[in-house]
Amino acid sequence: MKIRSGFICGLMGMALLAGGKLASSAAKSSVVSQPSLPPQEVDLRSMIEGEKRYRINCGRCHQPPHRFSPREMAMAVRHMRVRAMLTEEDMKFVIYYLTH
Amino acid sequence: MSFSLFSRRFLASVCLAMSALSHAQEGTQTASYSVNDSQPVPLLSGGLAFVPTWEAGTPTLVSIISPVLLAPLGKDLVFESRAEFEGDFQPRNGTAGDFTGAVQKTLDYMQLDYIGNRYVTISAGRFLTPFNVFNERLYPNWIRNTQSDPLIFPLGTGSDDGLMFRGGISAGKNLNLNYTAYFSSLSGIDHFESERHVGARIAAFLPRERLEIGASLQHQLQQQHLNRLGWHLVWQPMRVPLELRAEGAFSGPEGSGLWLEGAYRLPNARFAPLRRAQVVARTQAFQTGSIVGLNRDLPVSDTKRTEFTFNYFLKDGWKALAGYGRTFTALGNSNIWTVGMTYRFLLPLGSRQ
Ligand code: HEC
Repeated sequence: MKIRSGFICGLMGMALLAGGKLASSAAKSSVVSQPSLPPQEVDLRSMIEGEKRYRINCGRCHQPPHRFSPREMAMAVRHMRVRAMLTEEDMKFVIYYLTH
Repeated sequence: MSFSLFSRRFLASVCLAMSALSHAQEGTQTASYSVNDSQPVPLLSGGLAFVPTWEAGTPTLVSIISPVLLAPLGKDLVFESRAEFEGDFQPRNGTAGDFTGAVQKTLDYMQLDYIGNRYVTISAGRFLTPFNVFNERLYPNWIRNTQSDPLIFPLGTGSDDGLMFRGGISAGKNLNLNYTAYFSSLSGIDHFESERHVGARIAAFLPRERLEIGASLQHQLQQQHLNRLGWHLVWQPMRVPLELRAEGAFSGPEGSGLWLEGAYRLPNARFAPLRRAQVVARTQAFQTGSIVGLNRDLPVSDTKRTEFTFNYFLKDGWKALAGYGRTFTALGNSNIWTVGMTYRFLLPLGSRQ
């Protein structure tokens, strides 16, 4: 049946999800350090990393956007994560940079 | 297409999506998003464009509005949708008389994205077909450097209804991989027209060099069962304000072609106003396939086209532009002139703070 290839594609995706689930818990300790600071304090390392990733990524397809409010930026960057297939680290640091 | 066939396939897609979603939900309990402490607000974004074009002496007043709606649904779900209203108005008597024309309404995408884990995001619904990159990344008028669509654009792109898996993964200090894999159902429903496809795209991105190279593959699961192949290359060196983009597409019966675009900014120009300017050159070629006219949106004879555009980035999301191009075909050569403005808007649909 023609839909077979669709299902194979779907199954591969699910395998990826399952694999991702295992790997992400295993890799959690090695994942980039998460700044868990009180809201007021700014983690300089995350800011620098965020700016670097913003410069690399956010002008690739369009003019790099200027800052919007943190809530607007949080939405747009999530959208860009899907659209531009940013890595998880890129998304986190860019959101941090753009919202602090 | 019979509706029952469409609904069966669509149901199958939705069931698969749902099972994958519920499965993935467990996984995200462990994924940490603590850095994203700002709650995303729904947005109404999009672009406006007024780009009158003179092609072979015939003026067309191209006016486009394409609103994008974005809404967060919980922590990892995003709803996104874009519609496009395009009015192409031409003189009633060819080159003279008052302008007349219809407004085309298109639903480009309407999808639910589940940001599952670092390896995969699942999208279900109507999505932009991820064949090559122009469709997904450069299509909006406020983004594209050259206003006309590439000649090969109708090959393998458009919108599809179905299920898509995609992700971007860091595979080393200076290597990111990104992929999409999708399948779609046949639909003839108004505004949800879709072909039955299965396809994938994979690309490698080197962040330090800002270089991406990728390949796309699509198999049509209906009619001629066409295979379409594509490749893309994007290079935007950090040190030089230059962007180089190229895409190629091949489909035996439909035709094949490629385009290459270079865009240069002048950020260090002595004359300060020039720092907002960009000069663009794009050249492209298309060769018809074994069945001319199979894809009605493609040129019917071998075509070459070269275009030059001057973009000027104004404040607040406005861009002014002017362009000239020449098309060469066996049926005759012609000029294309374009002038106009584009605008990108973004409005929060809720409290900004
Ligand atoms: C791979 C290409 C690509 C990259 C990289 C990219 N964008 Fe986008 N961006 C787009 C496209 C395409 C749209 C228009 C979406 C539409 O019209 O469907 C867009 C739209 C936007 C918008 C308007 C609101 C919206 O979400 O539609 C904002 C703001 C934005 N991008 C910010 C960013 C930021 C911040 C980054 C860096 C993290 C980024 N973009 C990286 C392609 C990209």
